[in-house]
Amino acid sequence: MKNRRLSSDTETRVERFREMTDGKLVNRRTFMTVLAALGVSSTAFRVTPALAQGREIVLVNWGGDAVTAMTEAFADPFMQADPEYSVYVDGSGPSSGAVKSMVESGAVTWDVADRNMPASLELGRQGLLEEIDYTIVDRSKVRPEHAGQWGIGNYIFSNVISWDTTVFPDWEPAGWADVWNLADYPGTRTLRRHIDGQLESALMADGVAPEDLYPLDVDRALAKIAEIKENTIFWGSGSESQQLFRDREVVMGNVFNTRASVVRRETDAEIEFTYKQGIVWPGAWIVMKGNPAGSAVFEFIASTQDPAAQVVLFELLGNGPVNPEAASMVPDELKPLDPGSPENFAKQISADAEWYAENSAEVLNRYIETIS
Amino acid sequence: MSDASQIAAAPNLPRMDRTQVTVWAMALLPIAVLSVFYFYPLIRVLLISVTEPTPGFGNYIDIFTSSPVRKVLSTTLWICVVSSSISLMLGYLLAYAIVHATGRWQSWMLLAVLLSFWVSILIRAFAWIALLQTRGMVNETLQAIGLIDDPIRFIRNPFGVILGMVHYMIPYAVLPLMANMRTIDTRYVPAARGLGASPFGAFWRVFLPLSLPGLISAGILVFIFSIGFYITPALLGGGRTTMVAEYIALQVNETLAWGQGTALASSMLFVVFTLLIVLGRIVKFRNMFGAA
Repeated sequence: MKNRRLSSDTETRVERFREMTDGKLVNRRTFMTVLAALGVSSTAFRVTPALAQGREIVLVNWGGDAVTAMTEAFADPFMQADPEYSVYVDGSGPSSGAVKSMVESGAVTWDVADRNMPASLELGRQGLLEEIDYTIVDRSKVRPEHAGQWGIGNYIFSNVISWDTTVFPDWEPAGWADVWNLADYPGTRTLRRHIDGQLESALMADGVAPEDLYPLDVDRALAKIAEIKENTIFWGSGSESQQLFRDREVVMGNVFNTRASVVRRETDAEIEFTYKQGIVWPGAWIVMKGNPAGSAVFEFIASTQDPAAQVVLFELLGNGPVNPEAASMVPDELKPLDPGSPENFAKQISADAEWYAENSAEVLNRYIETIS
Repeated sequence: MSDASQIAAAPNLPRMDRTQVTVWAMALLPIAVLSVFYFYPLIRVLLISVTEPTPGFGNYIDIFTSSPVRKVLSTTLWICVVSSSISLMLGYLLAYAIVHATGRWQSWMLLAVLLSFWVSILIRAFAWIALLQTRGMVNETLQAIGLIDDPIRFIRNPFGVILGMVHYMIPYAVLPLMANMRTIDTRYVPAARGLGASPFGAFWRVFLPLSLPGLISAGILVFIFSIGFYITPALLGGGRTTMVAEYIALQVNETLAWGQGTALASSMLFVVFTLLIVLGRIVKFRNMFGAA
């Protein structure tokens, strides 16, 4: 008697608890990660004829406009040239956690992912990635620092200074020092809630010369960020950074050039940005260990090195061509926006992928602590 | 073996035991599903927390020694205590009003609580942003009528997080409180008044003590909820209010410190279960939301 009451109480309790937490504790990405950890992937539910399996290449990126843009710039031309293959662009987000759980569970459904150079080192060293096959992919089509062991540059993007010209008319920031100068240029700032490109901007604001940045002085950078944190909103996603400027929540800040150029276009250049003291990052293709398409994926990667395809991506998304040959093919009116153009590239600082691969995890946690 | 013979003999068994067999048969599928999709991953999470990066309890010790973790935990704790207390206070007032309202009003008030209960947490957070941002409706109105010169920063700070959380948690405080208040005999307070108690005295010395079980169970319930908030702090906190759920996601997705992330997740689960056990001793769950 007593036993039965107890057990039915427990059931009600478990059931109630489940109902109440539904959809709150579990967000979509966690769900995907759980699926991957269980060895199931969303792509496993797609109906694909068994014959076509080996001839499909799955490219995973961060979703949104990038899905259609990469389909148009990279996937469609490849499929036209080689109709045997179909390239499928999946926007579910190749976070390090998702890559790790997918590869370790042995149920790999992605072939190539859109990440960056530091991530290629970090994940590659943990044995989660295939090495780039340079017999197929052309090393000479990127700058030397953009051809890594586990990652090959696919485009260029930058952390840039963006500001509101309606608040500061006829003025252009000389560098990050102005972003930190709340006395002369008052107003809310925005920085990324992540260390990439933020520590560099803080150090330059503190007077460190660009050539002396690496290895980064983390203590000094964090102290500098703490100086302005009370007046800063820290953005999580790129779209949030756009929103902050569009809604005039902030007057100045550190955002991606891709987002800044979209806001600039939408506001008729009321929101401006400059590549001065920008921090340049190479986005990079990485290939999952044991990817289903095998070495065919490198044929696809080689096809994305075509400068014309990279210019298409730049026009659609604002991601700068990583192939230096492409710079001259960019239409004249868009050249000032290209982070990879010779004059823009020269104004900026190249992020040190090696430093990030070594230090990112620990410093990111300290950064979160500092800004909290 | 014995199961089969029991089922075969079921028609001859006393009524209670037949019900029991049916209940267990019905529970079999959910239990199987939960085992595969819930308990198995959960056990893996527990295992990772004691095996990565090295076997042992290092990840659990880190919870007490790592300064970023301590910062996140203290942020979580103070936000949870403040938001739970406010939810409980407002929930109490609301439940009191609803229980003491007349029939028609009572339905409308309950409907209002439930309507907010059914709106997705994401939509609520975005609604607050639309209302309260610098160029939002509230600030523009206040500026237009000349009450303020510069916009007030309502959100993208701890205030915004607490506001969003309280908004979400109030129904969870109201429902168990109402269930409890309905069991209090409505003649007690007038009786106390008749014996000379002041209105406040009658409430303080008669009604409040009687509603204490409801208050405690609602308090534990909203506190359990508050610990797990993820989206609300991410959207309304301006990046500066990192609570433990977000920190765990960061360790799993970004830093790949799965040992640390899973140790924190397991500890949270432990805290929640402990609170649930305490709660289970105070009140029967089926009564909490007013079921008979």
